[in-house]
Amino acid sequence: MKFSLNWLNDHLDLTDLSVADIDDLLTFAGIEVEGIETRGADIDQLVVAQVISSEKHPDADKLSVCQIDAGADSPVQIVCGAKNYQVGDKIPLAQPGCELPGGFKIAPCKMRGIESNGMMCSASELGLTDESDGLMILDTDAAPGTAFSDIITSDTIFDVEITPNRPDLLSHLGLARELAALTGRELKGGIAHYQSINDKCQTAQSSDIDIQATEACPLYSGHFIRGIKVAPSPDWLKEKLEAVGLRPINNVVDITNYILHQTGQPLHAFDLAKLNGGIQVRYAKDGEKLIALDGADYPLNSSDLIIADGEKAQAIAGVMGGEDSGVTGGTTDILLESAYFAPSGVRATARRFNLSTDSSYRFERGIDPVQTLGISKLAVDLILELAGGTADPETLIAGQVPTAPADVAFEHAACHRLLGHNIGDDKINNILSSLGLEADGNNWKIPTWRLDLSRQVDLIEEVARVFGLDNIPARTVGTYAPASKEDKTYAANRSLRDRLVHQGFYEALSVKLIAESQLADDPATAMKGGLAPMRIKNPISDDYVYLRPSVIPSLLSIAKHNVNHGSSALRLFELGTVFSATPKGQAIEQSSLGLLITGDREPASWKKPQPETLDFHDLRSVIESLCPGQDIQIHPITPQPGCHLALAAQIRIGKSKAGICGQLTPARAREIGLEAPALVAEFNANTLNTARNTERRFAELPRYPASTRDIAMEAPAELPNSDIEAVFAKIDQKLLESFCLFDVFSDARGEKLAADKKSLAYSITYRHPDRTLEQAEVEQAHQQILETLSKNLPVVFR
Amino acid sequence: MLDELSAIQSDALAAIESIDSESTLDEFRIHYLGKKGRLTAAAAGMRDVAKEDKRAVGQKLNEVRNTITGLIDSRNVDLAAKKDAQAVAGIDPTLPARSLPQGAGHPLSQMLNRAVDTLHQLGFAIAEGPEIEDNWHCFDALNTPADHPARNEKDTFYFDSGKLLRTHTSTVQVRTMEGAKSLPVRIIAPGSAFRRDEIDATHSISFTQLEGLYVDEEVSLADLKGTLEYFFHSIFGKNTELRFRPHFFPFTEPSFEIDIKLHAAGKSSRWIEIAGCGMVDPSVFDAIHSQRKDELFSPDKVSGFAFGLGIDRLAMIQHGIPDLRLFSENDLRFLNQFA
Repeated sequence: MKFSLNWLNDHLDLTDLSVADIDDLLTFAGIEVEGIETRGADIDQLVVAQVISSEKHPDADKLSVCQIDAGADSPVQIVCGAKNYQVGDKIPLAQPGCELPGGFKIAPCKMRGIESNGMMCSASELGLTDESDGLMILDTDAAPGTAFSDIITSDTIFDVEITPNRPDLLSHLGLARELAALTGRELKGGIAHYQSINDKCQTAQSSDIDIQATEACPLYSGHFIRGIKVAPSPDWLKEKLEAVGLRPINNVVDITNYILHQTGQPLHAFDLAKLNGGIQVRYAKDGEKLIALDGADYPLNSSDLIIADGEKAQAIAGVMGGEDSGVTGGTTDILLESAYFAPSGVRATARRFNLSTDSSYRFERGIDPVQTLGISKLAVDLILELAGGTADPETLIAGQVPTAPADVAFEHAACHRLLGHNIGDDKINNILSSLGLEADGNNWKIPTWRLDLSRQVDLIEEVARVFGLDNIPARTVGTYAPASKEDKTYAANRSLRDRLVHQGFYEALSVKLIAESQLADDPATAMKGGLAPMRIKNPISDDYVYLRPSVIPSLLSIAKHNVNHGSSALRLFELGTVFSATPKGQAIEQSSLGLLITGDREPASWKKPQPETLDFHDLRSVIESLCPGQDIQIHPITPQPGCHLALAAQIRIGKSKAGICGQLTPARAREIGLEAPALVAEFNANTLNTARNTERRFAELPRYPASTRDIAMEAPAELPNSDIEAVFAKIDQKLLESFCLFDVFSDARGEKLAADKKSLAYSITYRHPDRTLEQAEVEQAHQQILETLSKNLPVVFR
Repeated sequence: MLDELSAIQSDALAAIESIDSESTLDEFRIHYLGKKGRLTAAAAGMRDVAKEDKRAVGQKLNEVRNTITGLIDSRNVDLAAKKDAQAVAGIDPTLPARSLPQGAGHPLSQMLNRAVDTLHQLGFAIAEGPEIEDNWHCFDALNTPADHPARNEKDTFYFDSGKLLRTHTSTVQVRTMEGAKSLPVRIIAPGSAFRRDEIDATHSISFTQLEGLYVDEEVSLADLKGTLEYFFHSIFGKNTELRFRPHFFPFTEPSFEIDIKLHAAGKSSRWIEIAGCGMVDPSVFDAIHSQRKDELFSPDKVSGFAFGLGIDRLAMIQHGIPDLRLFSENDLRFLNQFA
């Protein structure tokens, strides 16, 4: 909301404070200053002038030579570079002797040989805006030669954010009242509000005003004024409205707007000639319509409170008047409405129509109901003064003034306790009194405009706000907090991240919402019977429709971004929540770790100009490195049709299903822009962390030497290594310590080995824990292994 | 005899010059000092030396032996140095590094770690809650009126079930107090929050928040101030200027926004908003109290403070990052700057 400093000064003398002082004052009162703007300029020798002619400068393409009427007998010649004006426009002219903000002094000079006697100015040159595009074109009737400060009074405009709990600050009087309290000043005229001014009220006949919804509208007043003359407002009024960003319309409408910004009470004037019968305050009938002042057609329903005449809706209560009964140039008789509408109804209707007006904004937050009648009187007086006419002697009222806020019981000790500092009872009393509260023993009477003060803590807040946290000493006494389960998870995740980062991985963090088209990137789609992804009911765009069921879709889109920017060697991971729903719709949130590797194994260098390409076996080494010493198995699965994995396998740690890994289909990899194999893996992070954080037990270091034997065997090309490992795992031979595959050979051309065969070489280690092995027992053990292998597998030893 | 010894000495001195390997040096040693070496043979002649000459000859013999031993030792050192030099010959240490894959933690993770570490020092433990929430935990229990704009479908993501994506991590305050077994409650809750916002340089549909809550008997504004001052001074440095600006939140009263003073090179310094905080509103305790049906969070007995920080914002300030979108883009050139 915009506040004019001049306007505030009407209510409170702030002239001794700088703009920065007021900025601080507002900020520490809890009123956020979003912008400060200067209006008008009080500059000597700056006048309104009119362009009489403009011709191209004979020696400069970008300059014009203008003849300007600056109010003197003969025109002034100005050389000008701007292009945004036309002959006849009025502009601000800085005449010789004028000093512009920033210290630039205007003097007669020659520009490219042509005399120039001043400068036509832009808004930024006058210090009114930071930037401007060309000359400031003035919309004014003022005659050339008029001082610029006469047409736009110099003013400072504060654009502030009023928090929703402080509707009492949504007016110049309200803000002045607050500043008066904060600075210990007196309001001019001594009035804090207008509650007691209107003593001429009369209860309306129900044929004049009939409130049919007293909860939504407890109080409605109307005042008849006849024989007015609708005309443009006087300059002082126009200036006030323009200062706060409003466009002047006519005297009657301007007065209602002015009073609203002055006092916070919204008003509405109906053209009496357009009303048929008395005022009804009622809910709309379903299907009823209203064309409002903005020209739009509003379909009403039975939840909308309206102001109607005997026939139809004439205004949406507290939101906007109807076009039909609005005040126009031809209006002579009016009914001036000043009412109190309850916040919730106005809020619901305004929200439904997505319509926020100055009026609805205030009603939805809550106005001071006690002012309503007094302000009617204030407005009537001003209308009579500016538009003439005759007013009825009395304001017609229906309903009752809503009851004043209840007193609040307050205990000083509670305030000291919550502040953590005894600031003294007197200090508290002074603060509360300055804000208009009145003490009555332990009870405080609340001013009618402070709808936010209903509990002790609300009063404590006022004390804290005015006293300021700066003045309260800080305390850092804390109790100890035992580590939680979540602390341990956090630490485990952190160590997982660190391990990956130290392996050269980059951590990605992405938005957890993905597009429908990305769902197929979930590696779990390689398996049957997955859970359903969760769809947002009101997505903001097609890119963010589902909560991600996997982090792999995000990693692939990050891969694409990086490929597009020149990086095709990628080691990426993301650790975060993934979401799915059970068939019954129960949401499941899990912590997931996704990995993506593709491209060169290391950056090319002078040492290795052509590095190897990462493949599935590299992925497997990463997987194993995450859980050293654990039994990690890879179980290949046949990918379901339509999924984006050409190769897929389940990852198990011991007996737990820990995740899934695989290689993207070449088609999907190509879409991302990847030439090399793209390998992905995704873990349930909790399963992984449980395995990673298994308690470690010390094992005696071997004290006796081992003995190794190598075997080479020929096997069918398609025999998976896991079959061989499974046989090894079952061998009951105490001396067998470990085995290691150290060579795989195949020959597609079938020259050295049949094309459907492969040759495998294993190194087998034997050891006895308590003594050095004898040759013979190693031989015996080795024979047992060879026999078991050949008995259980289609292999031949070479 | 003396002549013989002098001859051995001068021969050795001459011969050592041409020794250029360990094997020739060994031959040299054997030639002079070996069992059948010249000096060994000469020493054997001592017994034939006249008694009165023995002393002088003996001295000469020692002198020659020391000389030869010294020659061998120093040549040994020379040869070792030569061998060491050969081992590294041709290595240009100024060649560019052979690059290791570098890797980097995400700047938001790094900032979150710093924040969590600092709050661990202050004795806060981590708590968690679901990201898919219900209205009660996200709004009702936090004193947010039924027609508050934040609950609008325009601003909040909903599911058909009526559940929603939490708009703040303050939900974890509620969940923690619902489940707490005793006081004090002293928790922090890092996590994602979601808003239905248009995405631009300063807005995103999701961001990383960190919530804090301390509830006990007699928790005060002074505690709030002490905790957050310590926190921001730890993160941004001891001399960072802070201000607590009164503000409004439905779930705290009094409420404050915290600004820190930002000094950017070439620009005038300015205050920028960095966190929201306040004393837990009694109506929040009321909600918990009626939900729990016991007296642990009776609004008459407890007080507490709560705060919420945007980790994204802290990271932007800390590193001078101008655009929120950089965080979710995960461009390697960006991530590499925080390796």
